[in-house]
Amino acid sequence: MTPGLRRLYVPRRATVETGPGGEPSAVDGVAVEAVREEWVAEDRWWTPHPLGRHYFELVLADGRNTVVFRGIVSKRWYQQRG
Amino acid sequence: MASAAPYVELHAHSAFSFLDGASTPMELAAAAAKLGYTAFALTDHDGLWGSMEFVQACKGIGAREEVKAITGAELTVRTSAPRAPAEYAHLTLLVEDGIGYRNLCRLLTAAHSHTRDSSQRTAEQPWVTVEQVEEHAGGLVCLSGCAGEGMLAAAWERGGAAGGAATARRLLRAFGRDRFRIELQRPYWRRDRSRNRWLAGLADRLGAPAVATGNVHSHGGKWRAHLQDAFVAVRLRMTLEESEPLRRGNSSSALASPRTMAARFAEHPEAVAETLRVAERLEFDLSRELGYRYPREGEPGVDRKLAELCGTLLAGRYDGSSHRRKAEAGLEKELKTIRALGLSGFFLLHHDLLVLAREVAGEVRGRDSARSILPPGRGRGSSVSSIVCYLTGLSHIDPVANDLNSSRFLNEEVGKQVGATMPDIDLDFPRDIREVLIPRVHERYGADRSALVAAFPTYRPRGAVRDLGKALGLPAHEIERVAGMVGFHERSGEIEKDVVAAIGPERAATSRWQMLLRLCPEAMGLPRHASQHPGGMVISTRPLVDVCPVVPAAMEGRQIVQWDKDSCNDAGFLKIDLLGLGMLSAVERCVEEVGRTRGKPFDLSRIPMDDPETFSSIRAAETTGVFQIESRAQMSMLPRTLPETLDDLTVQVALVRPGPIQGGAVHPYIERLKRRREDPGFEVPYEHPLLEGVLRDTLGTIVFQEQVIEVAIALAGFSAAQADSLRRAMSRKRSAEEMNRHHDHFIAGAEERGVSEDVAEMVWGQIQGFSGFGFPKAHSAAFGLLAYQSAWLRIHRAQEFLCALLNEQPMGFYPPDALVHEAQRRGVRLAGPDANRSRLLCHVERIEGELTVRIGLGYVKGVREEEMESLVAERERSGDYAGIADLASRSGAGRDGLERLAWAGALDNLVGRWASRRSMSPLSSPPPALPGRREALWEAGGAGAGVRHGEDVQMALPLEPPRAPELKPLDEWERTIADYRSIGMTLDEHPMGLMREELDPEVLHSCQLERSENGDVVEVAGMVVARQRPETANGIVFMLLEDERGTVNLVVPPPVYERCRAAVRAAPLVRAKGRLERHEGTTNVIVSAVGELDRPKSRRSPTKPKTERRGGPPTHRPERRGVRERAVAELRAVAPAGHSFGRRR
Repeated sequence: MTPGLRRLYVPRRATVETGPGGEPSAVDGVAVEAVREEWVAEDRWWTPHPLGRHYFELVLADGRNTVVFRGIVSKRWYQQRG
Repeated sequence: MASAAPYVELHAHSAFSFLDGASTPMELAAAAAKLGYTAFALTDHDGLWGSMEFVQACKGIGAREEVKAITGAELTVRTSAPRAPAEYAHLTLLVEDGIGYRNLCRLLTAAHSHTRDSSQRTAEQPWVTVEQVEEHAGGLVCLSGCAGEGMLAAAWERGGAAGGAATARRLLRAFGRDRFRIELQRPYWRRDRSRNRWLAGLADRLGAPAVATGNVHSHGGKWRAHLQDAFVAVRLRMTLEESEPLRRGNSSSALASPRTMAARFAEHPEAVAETLRVAERLEFDLSRELGYRYPREGEPGVDRKLAELCGTLLAGRYDGSSHRRKAEAGLEKELKTIRALGLSGFFLLHHDLLVLAREVAGEVRGRDSARSILPPGRGRGSSVSSIVCYLTGLSHIDPVANDLNSSRFLNEEVGKQVGATMPDIDLDFPRDIREVLIPRVHERYGADRSALVAAFPTYRPRGAVRDLGKALGLPAHEIERVAGMVGFHERSGEIEKDVVAAIGPERAATSRWQMLLRLCPEAMGLPRHASQHPGGMVISTRPLVDVCPVVPAAMEGRQIVQWDKDSCNDAGFLKIDLLGLGMLSAVERCVEEVGRTRGKPFDLSRIPMDDPETFSSIRAAETTGVFQIESRAQMSMLPRTLPETLDDLTVQVALVRPGPIQGGAVHPYIERLKRRREDPGFEVPYEHPLLEGVLRDTLGTIVFQEQVIEVAIALAGFSAAQADSLRRAMSRKRSAEEMNRHHDHFIAGAEERGVSEDVAEMVWGQIQGFSGFGFPKAHSAAFGLLAYQSAWLRIHRAQEFLCALLNEQPMGFYPPDALVHEAQRRGVRLAGPDANRSRLLCHVERIEGELTVRIGLGYVKGVREEEMESLVAERERSGDYAGIADLASRSGAGRDGLERLAWAGALDNLVGRWASRRSMSPLSSPPPALPGRREALWEAGGAGAGVRHGEDVQMALPLEPPRAPELKPLDEWERTIADYRSIGMTLDEHPMGLMREELDPEVLHSCQLERSENGDVVEVAGMVVARQRPETANGIVFMLLEDERGTVNLVVPPPVYERCRAAVRAAPLVRAKGRLERHEGTTNVIVSAVGELDRPKSRRSPTKPKTERRGGPPTHRPERRGVRERAVAELRAVAPAGHSFGRRR
């Protein structure tokens, strides 16, 4: 990263609980009310840093809309501004 | 059958969507069967290119279970107004019945009808209007299109939900409630759920069912999904990074199981269930009768007409012949078979075509031409064995005199089988006649009833490296270096070694190059684009556009059906092959040139067929430029087989083919031939006595294609139909399982006839080995005759023959430079291009009483053909050019053209002659004593030049150019380099001759090898004329080097090849060390080391002045070593690339 520059919308780790189909049921302890969208991004596979993410756009029980994704390789959950 | 499958795929793309699909139809069919699909639709973009292959694959050839094949296409519809910027959207159309199929063919034909309208005739986007779709809606089920570009989804994505709904209502009106579906897809994009909810809601409101589809783009596997990404980038001419917004974004377009697909649409279970209902109503089967008929098929009285025609012709041809009775019996038998198979119309149609070809030949050749007495074309393939073909002019070989058996070509039992294909009649024509004949066939039978067959160039290593390398953003110079290395072999697994050899291991290890190495094997064999078959034509009585889409070809006046020859065969189309054969053209050119130069017509049919000098040259393997027997493999064989007759040549032509080589026929044949020559009483050993009758002529080996059939019948009791099925399985690519079935029948049948399993397996091994490729005997006889004729012309009309070969390039085994040098070694004289002597093509003229081949102006690289034509026309109209200014002012040649002519030496004789053409007064000042190319360039620069304005040229004023100052003449190195750069050959001293005195003395001339002992270690150097890496040679590379005295055969064993790949693959000049091996008349160097000849010598050598060169200036050898090394480097850059031949997948 060039000095002086700052990455925007950096994903941050999230604690996500999932249901039997693998869909999120709670994010950081807040229950998921609805899954609005679900999509997959797989790109840059030709570079040393391939990208593979399974995204969910969620409506949480506290009324917030949020986007989380699971790294397809890392299997870790992250939250990101949608 | 997997009745429980909850989902049927109704939208899938194969590689026949051309760079938007990464699997073959066969791979899709096999994967669908494996995953339990009961039905599957192939819906390639704007075409049915792969549909027949898919239908055949689904029927069980290659697929495990039978899958119901649904025919369809994804059609591009122009949605913008005619003059507005183009906007397109997609519709998925599926065929319900015959009417729907006809409508789909017509829509696809209409979509392509305007794709070659530009002056360049480059392929543009096919499209139709919504109105056209509405007009052709009958019998088609319409799905509303894909998630990204579908008619409705795209409108919704652009915020045009109302417009999308209006379009849906319009389509609903056109197709009706039972044949219109709203298409839901789940590509795992961000707005999938919203879009599908809107589409499903729209479906509810309209009362039209929604249906789920997968928009499949590959049959599975991570790497095919990646390849699909790369293909998108290739199609858009972008890198993968640049194409990111336009790619699919993930790998979900790979084929998934029906259950997985049902789970993806969990919110829309009805749309999943609807897939089964739609599939059920789509009853159309492409493999059934399409209503195709060829002209004269079933015409009343055709049997009688054919019999009468043949009877009359037989009486003429065999009048007084000892073969007459046999010919009559043969004709009767053939006519009976033809009647039984209903093929009389087929032969009469071919006869009609030949009559048409005769008319065309008359026009093309001209009535007074020496060629006018020649037949318009010649037959090839198994049809040459037919007496009906011989009598009707479709073959030029007398099958009775040559003892040819037509049962492979015409067989009642075979022809009556279900799915039997039409017999093949292939006709070879000189290229110029063929060019006119094809559009004439369109005229005769109607543009809507005749078309060429399609061909699909598939990815091979070089193209894959170039295309995928660019998509991966690899540096262009590295890509080219690697592409230059992979050119002549076809085994994808070896690309990695090429990459390492070309750019080094460090670069090869970087991630993008590694990705390229993973993607290349995946791309191999996938079609890249559609092209036209060299000459296969389909003719129909009903409009072809009702049985297969027809699209304009890249060449004006031609059109192609969307199927290749296999698919046309499967559809039962009559395919007529009007092939262009370079050697036939060359022979005709030669005949014409002989008539012109020697002042009387020359009749090729009257040459003796047993000319001792011709056969002697063939036996000595002096066959450079001779049809079929000029390759290295043939040359090494000829001194061993020692052909003495045309019959011997028939075997010779067939022997060096992949079939006999892989079937293990070659060495036993040669060995037995030798034994029989030494001992006429030698008894040929047969694998089994049952084979004696069928393999007698080829000494117990399988050389000809029909012998496979005969062996299967004789040894394993196959019926004629079974044996023909075996032959077809051998020649088709989708046949591994079929071959296994035939193997089991063969072994069982042979055992029943008392043949041991070992022998049966051994013979089967020979048959299977033969699968590669082999000629029928009749075809070999036709080619053997042409081989003899060309060998005779090479000996007895050497100048005209060389001239013809040069004018027909590209063809054959040798580049023009090598042809010229070989002819010069035989004493043939050549003269360089000359603006006052040359024509566009090469010709023969007398110089100082001797016939000399004059190089044509068309050989000068980079000149405009029309400029050279007008230059020659003006000279012929108004006389020779008096000087360069005169040339510039009269011919209209542009500055660039003049400069190129000057570099080629074509203006040498005009230098310093700047007098007015009209007065032809003495030269205003004396020319330089030794004018040359630099002076010519100087004058061309000052003489002015024609300026092109579109099609017109503004002539230059005939102003006298300033006189050139004293310029240093080109030395012989510079002239050689200029020759190669400008005409691709040198007529003067061979580059190796120029280099010779600076080479180490241990480097031998090619002719010195004859004085070396067998087993000696020798060193040689030369220009690479040809490289071969045959599939059948276990990794051995054969190279042919040329030096100033002749040629040297190098045999590069695999370990040396691995060590020296770069030099073996790509170097134009090499130096090699190895062991001399002399065996039965052939001399090879078995190479132990080979490297690029980049500097003549490792130590400084004394230079001595050279003699004056053909009246030219004294030679100036560069004195400094660096100068010479630069000259050699420059020569390497311009030397003609040797021809490369080798492995195919």
